[in-house]
Amino acid sequence: MLRTGRRMGTARWNAALMAGVTSLALVLAGCSGSGPGDKQSSGGSTQTSGVTITVALASDPPPKAALAAFTKDTGITVNWVNIDWDSLQSKISAAATAKTYFADATNVDWSRVGQLGKLKWFYPMDTYIDTKAMEADVPQLASFTVDGHVVGVPYDASFMVTTVNTELFQKAGANPAPKTMDEYTEALKTIKAKGVLEHPLNIPFAAAEGLSTYWYETTGAFGGTVLDKDGKPQFTSPDSPGYKAAQWMVDALKTGLVPPGNINVTDSQGQQNLMAKGQVASTFSDYSGNVGTLYNIKASSSVVGKVKYLPTPGASGPAANLSNPDGVGIPKEAKYPNAAAKFIEWFTATEQQADFAGVNGPEKTFATYPIPSHLSAVQQMVAKGNLVGGKDLEPMLKGSKPVFEGGAPSWYPKFSNAVYTNLHAAATGSMSVEQAIKTIGDTANQLASGS
Amino acid sequence: MTVSSSTTEPLAAEGAAPRPPAGPTSVAPVRRSRVDLLPYLLVAPVMIFIACLALVPAVFTVVQSFFKVDALDPPTRFDGFGNFTRLWHSPAVIGSIGNTALYVVIGVTLSTVIGIGAAVVLQKPFRGRSLVIAILILPWAMPGVVEGILWTGIFDPNAGLINSVLSSLHLSDGNAVLLGQNRLLTITLIELVQVWQIAPLSVLLILAVLQLIPGELYEAAQIDGCTSWSAFRRITLPLARPGIAVTMVQAVIATLNVFDQPYVLNGAANTGASVTMQTYFISFQDLDFGQGYALSLLITIVTLLISLVVVRLVYRRVEL
Repeated sequence: MLRTGRRMGTARWNAALMAGVTSLALVLAGCSGSGPGDKQSSGGSTQTSGVTITVALASDPPPKAALAAFTKDTGITVNWVNIDWDSLQSKISAAATAKTYFADATNVDWSRVGQLGKLKWFYPMDTYIDTKAMEADVPQLASFTVDGHVVGVPYDASFMVTTVNTELFQKAGANPAPKTMDEYTEALKTIKAKGVLEHPLNIPFAAAEGLSTYWYETTGAFGGTVLDKDGKPQFTSPDSPGYKAAQWMVDALKTGLVPPGNINVTDSQGQQNLMAKGQVASTFSDYSGNVGTLYNIKASSSVVGKVKYLPTPGASGPAANLSNPDGVGIPKEAKYPNAAAKFIEWFTATEQQADFAGVNGPEKTFATYPIPSHLSAVQQMVAKGNLVGGKDLEPMLKGSKPVFEGGAPSWYPKFSNAVYTNLHAAATGSMSVEQAIKTIGDTANQLASGS
Repeated sequence: MTVSSSTTEPLAAEGAAPRPPAGPTSVAPVRRSRVDLLPYLLVAPVMIFIACLALVPAVFTVVQSFFKVDALDPPTRFDGFGNFTRLWHSPAVIGSIGNTALYVVIGVTLSTVIGIGAAVVLQKPFRGRSLVIAILILPWAMPGVVEGILWTGIFDPNAGLINSVLSSLHLSDGNAVLLGQNRLLTITLIELVQVWQIAPLSVLLILAVLQLIPGELYEAAQIDGCTSWSAFRRITLPLARPGIAVTMVQAVIATLNVFDQPYVLNGAANTGASVTMQTYFISFQDLDFGQGYALSLLITIVTLLISLVVVRLVYRRVEL
């Protein structure tokens, strides 16, 4: 009995000790921040060798051999994290707001440049890399520059482009190379009228970013722009290109050129499930590179060799293509900004991009890599015949221009949300095109005036 | 057995001196003069954990909801009820409140009805019951995003399962637009996906309560000439009320905070956007964290109020 009592006393003491230690540990953990990485977050380490950096992008990693070669050359190990685009944007915002580390190098999308530039959440890349020297060879660098500073370095030259399934166009006796919007619309109507396809056009009407970019490209084709340099809307008048573009898109759905189900189809779903399966004959605003990476891939496509790039039909002739490139930058909370800069310099270099694009053999190819951001790398691809549709794409890339003349405004995400929710509502019929355009215009005016 | 509306526990005789066990070996109780710290120490880790991860952020949210916290419009400054006023004037937020109300009504009703029905079926043992319960739990264990992606294929208007079935039954041309076109249909279908996820927990919670009901009660009722329906109404339902209340509260919380399913299935479209989706857009797209805090606070208050009403109306203390 006595022994039991003593044992119980010891047990109580042990339990109390454990609980006390746990409590103390929790309090200390709470008070001490988030560990050694935090100490470096205010400026980061300048160390560029013997470190591991985290690179977070919405993409599969490059070939292991390429990363291993980079590590061998620099002593920097890369921990590649693939996060989907939307989640990545949330992560960037959440980490920057909370001033916590999550990656040393991460995505800088063209549409977020204005916002990121204003918030100064990223280190200016021009302090690490000679971006001036890149300007001539990387035309899309302008889209990543705010107040003279480069927020991120573009690592691809993605731009919007029209694709057509030439076989379906020819089967219907329609012109497979229309040069104007009228000719293009007429060709689609012919395909429908001849019964080749009931719904020949792919427009992703889901309320998502892809609908906004589709409208920007269509507005460009009608000969206009969405916002001016000051961010003022240029689409509110019924005879403006933006208004006409919205009307054309909604009419295409209502007249049956677009499958009714597209009301809830996103851009990638439309490309993968409709265009790649021959369910539609054309996508007006497609992604450059899709012919080589999607439509000509047997495993994912039933239209191999049938889809071609088309110089974007315009109001009175081919229109310019709008660029939507992806960049990579260094968040202010990076642990190793200098090492990250070395990685970005390597990742975006001409020769590396040529390797990624398959110029120097399949073992160096980066499977999901779109078109290089360096013109010289694109030229190498065209010369070696590695770029599918390269002869069409090269002049389009040279003539491509930013979506917004004055760069993406800092309030772009809110504006884009208004664009896709209201255009989607107009497509469903819950509001008219006029009401949708008015709401989008009001939002833009309100945001541009800063109220 | 008693079913009472009282929720107060009969107080134990606190403070009374413990009665010493009888017998020659009994030891006289030692009156402790010091406070026994052990119970406090044992709960301290959990309390610290909850305080750090729940209470501190909650207090922070309440305070910040009265400040203008906009990353694009610094500095942070006191704004009174400014955030709440702006939310009230946002058509997107007002639309999402209407949508969320529908999610709650449909979701709570369906999950409760399904929960009661399935629990009654599973109440009596039968061969393979464990397997049925294990399968039942699967949707609950799956992340909402995965479910959303799964159901995207089922609802797809161009090549979805539902349209294929409707087409093969000659009930439609096979191109019916199920999501995004009609608000009520969109919300109902999205909520069905969420009910598919949350109903298993409802079943388990109610089933746990039904397992406690003594079989003798049903036997006695049968002897008294009670039909199965009467037994369900007069025995099962009253005695299952604690479980039903908990089920409904968890359904209220889940449906008021629905995010994954509408976001994956219907994007940002006004036809299905929920209040939590608006919180996400306001906070992480617009970077207006002040308004995001304010909307979160409102959601919390509404969740608490509805949960209290549910508990008041449905919960009854049961003593078996």
